[in-house]
Amino acid sequence: MIQFEEVTYRYPESQSPVLQEVSLQVPEGEFLLVMGPSGSGKSTLLRCLNGLVPHFYGGVMAGQVRVNDRDPIKLGPRGMADLVGFVLQDPEAQFVVDKVEDELAFALENQGLDPLVMRKRIEEVLDQLNIASLRNRSVSTLSGGERQRVAIAAVMTLQPQVLVLDEPTSQLDPQGAEEVLDTLVKLNQDLGLTVILSEHRLERVVQYVDRILYLPGVGEPPILGDPRTVLAQVDMTPPLVTLAKALEWSPLPLTIKEGRHYARKQTPKYVRGPGRHAGQRGDSARVSSPVSISVEGLRFSYNGHAALQDISLEVHRGELVALMGRNGSGKTTLLKQLVGLLKPDRGRVQIAGMDARPAMDTRQAGLDEIIRVVGYVPQNPDALLFGDTVRQELDFTRRGHGLPEGTYEPMLSALSLTAYADRYPRDLSVGERQRVALASILVAEPQILLLDEPTRGLDYQQKEALTAFLEAEKARGRTIIMATHDVELAAQCADRVILLGDGQVVVDGPARQVMSESLIFASQINKLFRDPALVTVADVLRLQGAGERAS
Amino acid sequence: MLHTWSWVIWLVAASVPAFTLRNPLYLALVLGAAGLVYFSLGRTSTIGRSWGTFARIGLFLFALTIPINALSIHTGQIVLFRLPETWPIVGGAITLEAVIAGAVSGLALFTILMVFATFNAVVDHYQLLRATPAFLFQAGVVISIAITFVPQMVLSAKEIREAQRIRGHRFRGIRDLLPLIMPLLASGLERAIRLAETMEARGFGSAVEPLPPRRAVMVQVGSLVALLALLAGLFVTAYFTESRTWGWVLIGLGVAGLLAAFRTQAGRVQQTRYRRLAWHGGDIAVVVACALAVTGFVGARLAVPEAIFYSPFPPNALWPPFQPVAGAALLLLAVPAVLAPRALELKP
Repeated sequence: MIQFEEVTYRYPESQSPVLQEVSLQVPEGEFLLVMGPSGSGKSTLLRCLNGLVPHFYGGVMAGQVRVNDRDPIKLGPRGMADLVGFVLQDPEAQFVVDKVEDELAFALENQGLDPLVMRKRIEEVLDQLNIASLRNRSVSTLSGGERQRVAIAAVMTLQPQVLVLDEPTSQLDPQGAEEVLDTLVKLNQDLGLTVILSEHRLERVVQYVDRILYLPGVGEPPILGDPRTVLAQVDMTPPLVTLAKALEWSPLPLTIKEGRHYARKQTPKYVRGPGRHAGQRGDSARVSSPVSISVEGLRFSYNGHAALQDISLEVHRGELVALMGRNGSGKTTLLKQLVGLLKPDRGRVQIAGMDARPAMDTRQAGLDEIIRVVGYVPQNPDALLFGDTVRQELDFTRRGHGLPEGTYEPMLSALSLTAYADRYPRDLSVGERQRVALASILVAEPQILLLDEPTRGLDYQQKEALTAFLEAEKARGRTIIMATHDVELAAQCADRVILLGDGQVVVDGPARQVMSESLIFASQINKLFRDPALVTVADVLRLQGAGERAS
Repeated sequence: MLHTWSWVIWLVAASVPAFTLRNPLYLALVLGAAGLVYFSLGRTSTIGRSWGTFARIGLFLFALTIPINALSIHTGQIVLFRLPETWPIVGGAITLEAVIAGAVSGLALFTILMVFATFNAVVDHYQLLRATPAFLFQAGVVISIAITFVPQMVLSAKEIREAQRIRGHRFRGIRDLLPLIMPLLASGLERAIRLAETMEARGFGSAVEPLPPRRAVMVQVGSLVALLALLAGLFVTAYFTESRTWGWVLIGLGVAGLLAAFRTQAGRVQQTRYRRLAWHGGDIAVVVACALAVTGFVGARLAVPEAIFYSPFPPNALWPPFQPVAGAALLLLAVPAVLAPRALELKP
């Protein structure tokens, strides 16, 4: 049993409290999802459970916390380690030892446990998390999902009764996220372990959780209740729930299976509705506008592994292309080829020159020439940020391109960064840092923009803002190619989807067509209706409006 | 797999001849033994791949020592050619003996490197770390974290370089380091803080009992006094030959004091070992072989030094002497290669 009574907490260098008089109770064995916009205090609340707040962070705390009758505020994280297992967002930063089995043993060895007990516990945990096959592997060779499962296993060796996870899947690709969430469901159901996690990808977890705690942020009281009740009251919902709320489906469907039931009843109206192909994006832009990038017979391998095999494609000016495929399928490698960071082994990559100058071959053109036309935002915004202020970051890129420093107000306001122009970029939240990185590439006005996983770690609202921004950029004639796992993002704004598999182009076609022909790469709404015209919530609502007017 | 301590013993046994010898025939035998061990065992491990780097560095050093020796040592009878006497250092006769001496020194360096490279490839680093004495516990944890940290830092350094390059960053002067160093330091620091948080949450460090403050001070003062006694003892024995006995007494007291301090420190750490590596027959065989190799080699050295030592310079013969028994003893260093393939299963 977990109890919060009137908990108020303020970080040492902040004026206003993150948590204000929070009171709640979580019974044993519950699967609780904590959600809310970034900065609403999710992480803080989770860290109260094992005393990291206030022991590791300092600050001022009032109120009472009890976890199975223990007081984390008094005992601190070390005193809670055997009761509360805690797993962080970034799987990479959690390892002390390079080998999986030794990593699991490390905590136990330092607790001075008997070797026989250790052996038994480690075997148990390896089986519970289904990672026995990884026991002799080096941590650095594991995939993200595997790493996160090893991190969970490492805390499970201490046999906690409560497992707390702070956005454990936000750094993972969909497969990795699924592995981790499946594991959590199993631990909760088979062992009766209390699981408390914060998570952005609601569509993956809402069907499993017992209750949801919604933290709206400053000042407002949290909402705690069963998933349907809470989702009905909040704005941050997966597409399926958003649609269901708009169409007043009740009770709210949480899975595609439940949603199909409602969709089937409504489908005929849409099929007959006029303007069924309204909003078809793609082909028109492709034919009329000039070619931005052309790739012919591109082959590339490193470390003796064929990363890209015989890739040919053309991207036209003003197109927004989503590059999809599982991890290691060559998406990032292809982007790096397009910006000339890597050079083809065979075949060629050509980039349209500025102002109708002849096309450049990446093998001959210098990188400085290429980056005047192509901008590349890497996956991890932290790799770029070094300045004292956001403005300095932008100045740096302008100087690097030999351009005069300018005023950046329009761009900053388009990315809603105006308030942060003079802040230290690394202090900002993930979403904000992502936007600063984007701004510091766009400030050089590249004709072609390449994005690597732009939505990693963003919540629904931040994603929506990003989508709107990208569409505006596209409308201004910028060519955008983004490597992404995010099916909903691609459904929202891509004209065209290129699916990579094992370094080859598997499918290349209009977004709607590709998405409705694929099972894994289909958006939630598309899975519901299985119709190329219906991919986003807006599609359905538009058609419904049209259908109602017609009848 | 072989026990960590077996490998440590093998390392010691193989480095004794490699460090003390300048006879190319014996050196070649040690080198051959190390090579055999690597090719039958080391190639299966991931770290083993760094062996090639060691080999390249070794070859480079080998190639470097020959001209250095040839140009700086001008004794010997077989003159290859002469450089003008007026040239500093390099001027004078360039002799075949000097070239050979250079090659032998290079071979010795190469052998030492390859013995360590082989040890590095076959030993389990984590086990080696855990074999450190308990009072070095904190240091052991730090090294372990560092080993896990380094590959991540290398990756992020590459990522940062590429990201900044695309922003038009070029390296022209020392100021241009900032955009590369800052993100690396900042992300390293952030990662370190997250790791500290994880370790805190997992209850690390709770096993080290803090000493009561008064005893902690006593231990510190005690170690300092013991260290001073040890130094004073060494000093006395070296410079005051008539009062050497006192020197030895001081050294003895100093060592005893330090040991006592280490013991107190170690007593605070309660940790256990997850893996108790079994001591197999293979380990016994390796240790016996190593002991025989060292005994045979040292014995031959004492009994027939003229068959062990080698110098190309006159009046010695140009061809190195060789003693088959000593040679056979050194070959015993290859025993792990013969024994282990069945016992050792390192997964990639």
